[in-house]
Amino acid sequence: MLILTRKIEEEIRIGSDITIKILSISDNQIKIGIDAPSNVQIFRGEVYEKVVQNTINASHSISDSKIDLSKYKIKKVQ
Amino acid sequence: MKINTQKFGEIEFPDDLVINFNEGPFGFEELKKFVLIKPDDSAFYWLNSVEKPEIAFALFGLRIIDENYPQIDNHEAFGIVTLNSDPLKVTINMRAPIFINQDNKTAYQTIFDKDNYSLYYNLFTE
Repeated sequence: MLILTRKIEEEIRIGSDITIKILSISDNQIKIGIDAPSNVQIFRGEVYEKVVQNTINASHSISDSKIDLSKYKIKKVQ
Repeated sequence: MKINTQKFGEIEFPDDLVINFNEGPFGFEELKKFVLIKPDDSAFYWLNSVEKPEIAFALFGLRIIDENYPQIDNHEAFGIVTLNSDPLKVTINMRAPIFINQDNKTAYQTIFDKDNYSLYYNLFTE
């Protein structure tokens, strides 16, 4: 992993079109700003990992032919 | 195009039905070509990989569950379903929808940053 030391207001450039800027630092939180093209998706790492786990679980889930849905209905969001 | 799927056996379909992802579903980013199948005997759509035909995801329309679910022009929002033999344990991912544009056969998955949509929403009730 590349490790760089930056001060507040300093930036990191990734390639020609992504800029990461250190905005503020408090006790154990850093606020960063990211400029990137709209086709670059940006996620919190731990959320992305949970979604990947969900997708992997889904790809291993059983066939729906084994599920009897006759007594059930869709649970709609209220 | 002919592929040999795990779920449906060998299926044949016109090339222009292939749905293209810039990057496939999260965790499967290398898979970019899928076909969307709606079997008559299933409550779900099936997004079957063309490149790795043993990989398939059950999908369900998110606007059916939540009529206020965010819409994107010309796209339909689907959630990936995690199946279970107990219907009360079947869940759908509302946090990271797959948006499919059937007109130009493109699709992408995204993640909503706010956690007001569940990753494991129980799809069925008695």
